[in-house]
Amino acid sequence: MTGATGPREPEPLVLHDRSFPPGRLLVMAIVNRTPDSFYRPGLTWDEGAALERVHQVVAEGADILDVGGVPAKPGEEVTALEEMRRVVPFIAAVRAAYPDLVISVDTWRHEVGRAACEAGADLLNDTWGGWDPELTEVAAEFGAGLVCSHAGGLPPRTRPFRVSYPDVMADVLDRVLGLADRALRAGVRPTGIVIDPAHDFGKNSWHSLEITRRLGELTATGWPVLMSASRKDFVGEALGAAVDDRLPGTLAVTAVAAWLGARIFRAHDVTQTRQALDMVAVVRGDLGPARTVRGLA
Amino acid sequence: MSGGVPAVVCAAVCPSPPLLAPELTGHGDVLPGLRAACAAAVARLLAADPDVVVVAGAGSATATWDPDGRLDLSAYAPALSAGGKPGLPLALGLGAMLLDAAGYAGPRVLQAVGEQAPAAECLGLGASLRGLAPRVGLLAMGDGSARRSTAAPGHLDPRAGPFDASVERALRDGDMAALASLEPGLARDLLATGRAAWQVLAGAMSAPRAPIGQVLYADAPLGVGYLVAVLGPPER
Repeated sequence: MTGATGPREPEPLVLHDRSFPPGRLLVMAIVNRTPDSFYRPGLTWDEGAALERVHQVVAEGADILDVGGVPAKPGEEVTALEEMRRVVPFIAAVRAAYPDLVISVDTWRHEVGRAACEAGADLLNDTWGGWDPELTEVAAEFGAGLVCSHAGGLPPRTRPFRVSYPDVMADVLDRVLGLADRALRAGVRPTGIVIDPAHDFGKNSWHSLEITRRLGELTATGWPVLMSASRKDFVGEALGAAVDDRLPGTLAVTAVAAWLGARIFRAHDVTQTRQALDMVAVVRGDLGPARTVRGLA
Repeated sequence: MSGGVPAVVCAAVCPSPPLLAPELTGHGDVLPGLRAACAAAVARLLAADPDVVVVAGAGSATATWDPDGRLDLSAYAPALSAGGKPGLPLALGLGAMLLDAAGYAGPRVLQAVGEQAPAAECLGLGASLRGLAPRVGLLAMGDGSARRSTAAPGHLDPRAGPFDASVERALRDGDMAALASLEPGLARDLLATGRAAWQVLAGAMSAPRAPIGQVLYADAPLGVGYLVAVLGPPER
């Protein structure tokens, strides 16, 4: 097999000239420049508050910052111009403050991706699964990374309505590998390509649980897998938990996914996610423990 | 003493908790004061320029072990490599580790002493070490009571503190008779695994004159009594 569809040896992920080896578990901290995202809406709508949040998540151990200007849910239209107004100057400010930080922009629009890269973004987080094909060309042009996601073919900012799949995992594999292949052919750096099953996007909770359980099939492709499950509805529906009460469920999913080989974890709760991932790494033997004296005195 | 009479020219006393091995304790520096004291004691031992270093420590039976042997870390942390060398009893393995860490590459004898060996046997074994070479160095690996606090591995036994204090006093005063009279039954009750090794030390150092001792560390930060000391013959 050629291109992206055949299994490949896991390689270091390279973003912003930094190389992250396959065993390294990365936290991608969410900073939303929106007034109406689903968890703690408006928390970082104010630019000062958003920068404050960046200082905080960096101190908490975030490896990547993911900046978004449009909520995933349906709502008032956010034009490309407005989206740029929300994220581009902010990315420039973050880049100025943190020359070494990996910055991701959560967008499906190539115009926004281009402006974000010009302002210093390193990764295009295309959560809506290649809706705007030109975003791939932007990644290639700037040497940026690209997240290849599965959104079940839904248009941006739509909710799944009675979606069904003969085999959701097969659909996810087909879509993300197809996007990765297209990215390779367009000249996107192979070391910058990431795949994301995109929990809840174009999926009911059963679908999201299935792709979690079978995440090993995705990691077996060798591409770095991004896990974006933080406080999402499938966690809430699994546990009967409201958004504010979904951290334990999120961390459980995080641990399972890390064990199955996911490498990047998009998170609202950086400290707790970092700790859960470190615990998995210590159990797996990829990371030494902090201090062990029990039974050794 | 002079005149070429075989003698133990210096002895170091160190405890033998697995946590002395840095590989077992994670990123953090665990008990740096204890580790530094052990390194200092071994450095003093080697500064006495021994012809051979005898490591004496508790084992299941009295026996000498392969001098190429090392601590088998995998017994305590299965993820760690066994290292490919013959695995030693804990006390001997840690003694070998301390010698290696100090850069000692000279002759070594790894002498296990039965943890339950009677005092007389331990003293006799110690006395026999004096004849090994003109200048013998002794590294006695032994621990105080593991019942020093309610958080201790063996919980609190009120006799533990006084027992360890008596050993500390004996080491400081060079009082080998006090070590020789430690009661094996009480030591066993108190989970003081160093008793046999200390009595080997007493047998090795009691003649011809009482040594001068210096205690470098005496504490029980994790509920186990750790004693680090150096003993040498008196001046002239």
